Formats: sequence, C-alpha cells, structure tokens
Amino acid sequence: MNQQATIAVPAPRALLSRGMRETLANYAYLLPVAICLGGTVLFPILKAMHMSLYHNVLIRPQDYRFIGLGNYVRMVEDPTFWLTLKNSFIWVFFSVSLQFLFGFAAALLLNAPFKGRAFFRTINLLPWIIPGVVVALVWEYLYQPNYGPINDILRRVGLMREPVAWLSNVDLAMPAVIFTNIWRGIPFFAIMILAGLQAIPDDIYEAATVDGASVTQRFWHVTLPMLRPIIVVATATRIIWTFNYADLIFVMTSGGPANATQITSTYTLLQAYTDLDFGYAATLSVILLVIMLVFTALYLKLTKGVESVAG
Amino acid sequence: MDDRWRFSRRQFLKTMAATGAITASELLWWEEPFLWPKKAHAATTVRFQFSVPEPLRISLVESLVDRFNKSQSDVEVKVEFVPQAQARQKLITAITAKNPPDCCQIWDNWVGEFDGMNVVEDLTARIKDWKHYKDTVPVAWQTVTVKEKILSFPWAVTNDAIFIRVDRAKEYGLKIPGPDWTWDDFVTLAKGYAKPEKNQYGFGMRGAGTWAVLYATEFLYGNGTQVLKDGKVAINSPEAVSAFEWYIDLIRKHKVTPPSVATDGYRQIVEGFGRGVTSMYLHNSGSVEEQKKFVGEPNFATLPLPLGPAKKRATFYFSETLTMFKDAKNKEGAWKFFTWLMDDEPHYHYCKTLGLLPTRQALADQPPYTGPHYSGFVKSFPFSVVSPYLAYAGWGGKLDSEGVPLFQQAMVGKISSKECLDKFAEVLTKNMM
Repeated sequence: MNQQATIAVPAPRALLSRGMRETLANYAYLLPVAICLGGTVLFPILKAMHMSLYHNVLIRPQDYRFIGLGNYVRMVEDPTFWLTLKNSFIWVFFSVSLQFLFGFAAALLLNAPFKGRAFFRTINLLPWIIPGVVVALVWEYLYQPNYGPINDILRRVGLMREPVAWLSNVDLAMPAVIFTNIWRGIPFFAIMILAGLQAIPDDIYEAATVDGASVTQRFWHVTLPMLRPIIVVATATRIIWTFNYADLIFVMTSGGPANATQITSTYTLLQAYTDLDFGYAATLSVILLVIMLVFTALYLKLTKGVESVAG
Repeated sequence: MDDRWRFSRRQFLKTMAATGAITASELLWWEEPFLWPKKAHAATTVRFQFSVPEPLRISLVESLVDRFNKSQSDVEVKVEFVPQAQARQKLITAITAKNPPDCCQIWDNWVGEFDGMNVVEDLTARIKDWKHYKDTVPVAWQTVTVKEKILSFPWAVTNDAIFIRVDRAKEYGLKIPGPDWTWDDFVTLAKGYAKPEKNQYGFGMRGAGTWAVLYATEFLYGNGTQVLKDGKVAINSPEAVSAFEWYIDLIRKHKVTPPSVATDGYRQIVEGFGRGVTSMYLHNSGSVEEQKKFVGEPNFATLPLPLGPAKKRATFYFSETLTMFKDAKNKEGAWKFFTWLMDDEPHYHYCKTLGLLPTRQALADQPPYTGPHYSGFVKSFPFSVVSPYLAYAGWGGKLDSEGVPLFQQAMVGKISSKECLDKFAEVLTKNMM
C-alpha cells in the first residue's frame, strides 16, 4: 500500500490579528452614527469656524474675502457684544437659579401624598409643553401696558396708578422676560427632581429617622446628596439651553428697548438675519460655543461630575 | 348588451346640446375660462415669491394668480408665500445659492440692496414701451429707479399721514386743524387727547422696527433737516438735533405717548388707535381699511404731517414692487404676469383691498382715493419724497440693527438727542456703500 505523507500547510496568515479585526468591526458598527453626528454636529461647527474667518455679508458678495481674525478683533471692539454678554449672564443666572429653586419646591410638593396629586403633576407640565413662541406671545399680551391683564389687575386692586410698560422700560424689560422664562422652566426642574426623589429608597430615610435625624437633617444629608447627579445634569443642561435660547426674547422684545434685553444669541440672530453679516454672526456663534464648553468643563469639575455620592 | 350602456338617439342629442352649450360658455369667457384653464403641454412656470405681512394678502394674491393662470394658456404662475419677517433673508440666501424665484414682490428699499448684489433684471427698455408707462405717477418710477435704471414695476405706492380721531376731538372740544397745521397745533391736539387716567394718549409714536427711524426722520424734515447734504451725512445737523429734541419731548416732557412707546411696532400703533388707546398716529394708507372696521368710518380722518418751524415737511414714498431677477428662468412669463397685474382691474383691486395707492394716475383719480380717509395721503403728494435711506444699499439692515436701538435709547432717556443723532450719523457714514 502506497502511503503518501501529507504535509500540513499552514493557513495563510491573516493580514490583521483577531483582536485588531474585532476592534475594526466594532468601529465599523459605530461608523453610521459617527457619519450622522459628524454631518449634523461636527460639520456645522467646523463650517461656522471657517465662516468666522471671512468677510461674508450676503448683500455684498463682491466683498467676500478671507480676513483671518478680523471678525474676532471687531467683536472685541464691539461694545454691543460686551453688553449682550453681560445681559446673557444676567439672563442665565437669574433664570436658571430661580427655575431651580421653584422647581425643587414644586417637586417636593408633588412628591408628597395628597388628593389630586396626579392632576397637579399634569398641570405642572403645561408651561413646559407650550411652544416657546406661544409662551412669548401670551406673556407679551399679559404685560401689554394699555390693555394687558397684569396692569389691569394691579390697577383694579389699587397697587398701581399709572400703567407700567413692563417690556418697554429699560429697567423692567429684563426682569419681565426673566420672569416669563422662570415660569416656563419650573416644570423642567420639577419633573427631573421629582424623578430623582422617587428613586431614593425609603429605607435610607427610615434609617436616618431611626438615627434621630430631623426633617431638615434628612433633607441636607440624604435628599440633597442623593439628588446631586440629577441636579448637576439638569442645571448644566438648562444653563446651556438658556444661554442659547433666543425665541422668548426675540418675540417679546426683539432685544429692546435700547438693547436692554439683547443677549448674545439674539444679537447673533440680528447680525445673521438683519445685517446678513454671516461672517460676524459665525464669530459670535463660535464664541458662544467656546464659552459654553469652558463653562461645562468647569462646572462638571467643580460639582465633581455626575458620580453618585454612594459610588 | 347591458341596458345601462345603451345610448338612445334622444340621449345622444341631449349630450351634444350640452357639449355645445359648455363650449359656447367657454368661448364667452375666453379671457378667463369658466371651467378650467386650458394649459398647453409646454406651459411654462413662473416662480413668484410674495412676502406676507398680513393674512388678508394671501387670499387676495391667490385669487389674482388664479385669475391670471386661467387667462393664460402658455404660462402658469406658482406663488410662494413667505412671512414678511423672513422674506428678505430668504430671497438673499436663494440668490446667493443661485436659485432665486423668477420674480417677486418686494419693497423698494430692498431693490437697491439687490441691485448692489447685481442680481436684478434691468426693465428700463421693456417698461418704456409698456402701454401704461406715461399714465404712471412719475414719483412711483423714482422709487424703483437706481442709477438711471428702472428695476421694477411700482405695484402700489404709499406715503405717510397722521390718522386722527374726529369723534374724540368733538367729545373733548378740540378743534380739528386744517391740512396746513403746524407742530404747535400738533402738540396742542395731542395734549388735548391725552387722558392717562382713562388710558388714552395723544400720539401713538412708533419705537420698534425700521419705521421708528423713518417716521422720526419725516418729522425732522419739518425743521429743514436732510439725511444727506452735498454727499455727506447731515442727520446730526443743529436743525435735526433741535427737531429731534422736540420729537422726544412728546414722550418725555409732554407725555402724550403711551408708556410702551419704545417697543411699539406696526401692530401696536395700529391696534392702539383701533382700540382707542391713542387718538393720533403716523402711518401709511395701508391701515385705512383696517381702521374703518376698528373705529368706524365716520370717526377718523387723515391729515398730512404738520409743518415744522422751517415751514417745511416731507413724507417718504415707498412702493411695493414687482421685481424680476437676472437669473430668472422664465423672464417672458414673469413680464406677462407683471403687465397683467398692472392692468386696470387687477391693479385697482389689489390697491383698494389693501388700502394702498395705485401708481396709475387714472386709477388714483377714482373713489375711495378721493374720500376723507385718503385725503391726508393725497394732499401729501406735493411734498412726498423718495426715502433718503434708499441712497445706499449698506444702510438697509443697519437702520434696524443699529439705528433702532439708538433711537430707543433716546426715547427712554438713556442718551440725549444729540448723542443719538451723532452716533446714528457715524453708523450711516460708516456704511455708505
């Protein structure tokens, strides 16, 4: 019997190691998401940065040219920009801090057992559900000095003699729009914090009670620390939204009177859609982005991020 | 064969008679086919952008376009309605992207801007051959003429006049002045009307939007002010400052304006008068028809602007134009549409419905333009001028973005009249391009 010896031929060596192939496959799965995000988030940001380096006024296409940091220099020298930045910080600080305080109070109330709680939880959401532009139009009407209900009620109950022009007075316009924004934003915090409150296990409160902790002590040492991750995320998100939020002011005052309510985001819109100066508007957008990035990094560092205290 | 499909001789004759009747009726309506427009397969489309400041215009323009389409076999207009607030920006971005509509309705102050972009079709030659060229008011042509080129059809024109409550003047024992009244008469009347305890004010001044600057400038002309003098910005001249102080005093000293003045735009001044909060306001004829419904026809009239200390006055003409773009794909169709809209009946119907003044003299001589509600505008014709702010395309957006906040600062007393006009002059000088 003729036997032939077979020689084992080693399989051709794969071009990539198994680990590398798995890694690449994983990246391939991520590719569609990366393309979508790149196209919808990264590309517009890069495009805005690119536009900010050009003199790009749509009504003067013949003047379109690269000007390097010219728009940034203009921004630094633009007193209206600094005014709008100051207004933005006032707008964000008072809006978010008061939304948070009242939202927290509302959440504590809605967490307590009482008859009709489900109804009030639903009602609480109404200001948040109504579109921003509608809210602005409704409040513009409420504030109207000549035929608005607020002035009318205040005059009828004797708290006011002459009508007050809430949105036309330079000292009152910003507080008035902030008040509207607070009204609109309370439900957001209320619902977020309520969700956090419901996630705190009862046995922690029971243990604290057994240890003799008072209501205040339970609030400071149990409730607040347990809610910290939610509070950090909710406030950070809300600050970013409010900083970029232009609808309310744009509809209610258009940034007036005399720029009293002009915030950087409405000023950016004005530059883009009234002056059609897309180069300068892009510069303002880039600066808004940088401010928000720096703020978010600092905020997360100061508040130690979203890690739970229990962790 | 199924009985249902049988066709008797009687039925056949009836069908033929009905077909004949329909055909005859179609022939009678040959300009506007009664049943349906007969479009040729190769009917070309004209894209027409219309900016909408108020809902009434949508149905009006839709009906006009529909009638035009029915009257044509080879052209079909497709109208694109855009809210007025976005119209300018939308057009400019479409132009930049090289995809503008064939034609559009825009205000004359935008025509200069678009011409600066070198995108507007020069209609001079066509218009000079147009059958109604000589019947059109010369100043209407001025509003659409840039660098000696006629760029658009002035579809409707208007100027500004003071709306005044006649019934309330009688109630308060105030004398309605004649058309040649003065600034002093104006202040006296405004003070007479002002009853803050009743939530009534003398004058609904505009503080928001581009026209806050334009209305103020019209008053400034009463003291001999000019925006441009010898090619230089002169809006901060001593006579301008003095006139502006008088204007601001209406708010700060005489307190004849509502407290909301600094943010009152078009809607607020029109509604303020309509609701009885103010008894006078300055506006174009576009709100006449609205006020007839709000305050009633017998209760108001219009007067020309009062004469200033220099015994002068001016009101700015502006026109709503029909403009064609150089990149239009269907210029012949757009021209056909324009000339149809400018014909007697469509032109008169459009202007009358909106309370605007027709640019064709023959139509302006007909009622309601001869009545009391339009008399303030008609009597202002001799001193109406084209807005001086049309001189430079670069001034267009700046009036709104920088001019209005400056004027508001003066209104609320944050800066003096002189500071305001000095800064405004700087803005204008910087943007003379």
